[in-house]
Amino acid sequence: MPRPTGGQGTTPTKIKKISPGELMILWADGHETHHLAPVLRGMCPCASCKDEMTGMRMILPIHIPDNLEFRKIEIVGQYALQFEWSDGHRTGIYSFEYLRELCACRECKHQD
Amino acid sequence: MAFWNKDGNGAAVTEEQVLDALKKVQDPDLRKDIVSLQFIRNLKIDKGTVSFDLNLTTPACPVKDQMRDEAVALVRALPGVQNVEIKMTSEVRQAPQLDKSALKGVRNIVAVGSGKGGVGKSTIAVNIAASLAAAGARVGLLDGDIYGPTTPIMLGLDLPPKSVGNRMIPQEAAGLKFISMGLLVKSEQPLIWRGPMAHKALQQCLFDVDWGELDYLVVDLPPGTGDVHLTLAQAVPLTGAVIVSTPQDVGLRISMKTLRMFQQTRVPILGIVENMSYYICPHCNSRDHIFGQGGGSRAAEQLGIPFFGEVPLDLAIRTQSDIGMPIVLAQPASPSARVLREITEKVAAQISIRSYETPVLEVE
Repeated sequence: MPRPTGGQGTTPTKIKKISPGELMILWADGHETHHLAPVLRGMCPCASCKDEMTGMRMILPIHIPDNLEFRKIEIVGQYALQFEWSDGHRTGIYSFEYLRELCACRECKHQD
Repeated sequence: MAFWNKDGNGAAVTEEQVLDALKKVQDPDLRKDIVSLQFIRNLKIDKGTVSFDLNLTTPACPVKDQMRDEAVALVRALPGVQNVEIKMTSEVRQAPQLDKSALKGVRNIVAVGSGKGGVGKSTIAVNIAASLAAAGARVGLLDGDIYGPTTPIMLGLDLPPKSVGNRMIPQEAAGLKFISMGLLVKSEQPLIWRGPMAHKALQQCLFDVDWGELDYLVVDLPPGTGDVHLTLAQAVPLTGAVIVSTPQDVGLRISMKTLRMFQQTRVPILGIVENMSYYICPHCNSRDHIFGQGGGSRAAEQLGIPFFGEVPLDLAIRTQSDIGMPIVLAQPASPSARVLREITEKVAAQISIRSYETPVLEVE
């Protein structure tokens, strides 16, 4: 039985770029996630950033400038976000599940 | 003195009284009363005559007559009312997020998919689209089955669309605007495309076509899960997807894959249509469940999604498809056309529910 995706915890109700390098997502369960551009860029799930076979990260923090910014943020269909970064990269599609998983707040970290 | 007033006290009914009475009529799909839903338009009271429009969310509403009758009965029961004049209108809701894209005139995009080929997905898609159009909606059909396009045959069209500048003009048949990805290639040539080409072709058929104003754009997908599906789920916010399956287990099990793909990309599954459910013998009218019975409704129940109905294996559906005139238009009174129309109404109701419930999401 396929488990339906899109529970409250992974359904955004508000997506806001609060500064050139910071994104805020408010989820339907009331939780608020803040993503910093350089961190999110480092977790890019696309095939050129993360090896498809081995899962090894091809892009490392040292490759990413601290002042990296969101150039463009687009909603993909109704399940993900796609970012264009100030370094020109733009192929990563971040599903809402993945964006919630990446929430770095203390509360979410404690659950791991 | 107002001699036409039943009560004889001269007090005509007020707008408030009429609206209060109408609040008792519920839309069974949206689960709200028709006044709160703002379905009542142009309410006029002229002495003992009350007239208004009942503006529904789809012309193919399955409970249209029921709601009208209820509304008329309730208003007529008010003191001072002799006559109720009601006009049924409809306005299909805009699905959230669609209004900003190149498809801004299109209110809902609905995909029709299946797990395996040969289940009659295109037949169902064409007949649903034609039924919606026959009910009075503005409908487009995008044949996305690049590998084996049959929809052009079913609509009696086999020439590529004309273009003006770099925009394609959809062809028209059966009351529909129509574009086929298959017709972009010469018909005898086999189509050997890599993913990126399919991706590009679908994007062109979505964004480089003069679709104009549409209530529904139905997209007939290729079987299974592949490039076209993924591109569609990524390129546009779909209002939902209809899954077509045969009663046979194999067909259903593969449809589950399609279902899962839609769930992963958060495309709401509107429901399942079971095709080839039974064969009606043209000689003795007996029903044979050639591919088994009840598979589609069982799957729908398991998954908690609506079951839209069973379409028979009917020679007339096939012959009408082959001569390019869908059965719902050619033989609207036939049992098969009636089944297809009922299915269409249920699909339309689900679309209304989805576009009503889905929140608007945007990047601020």
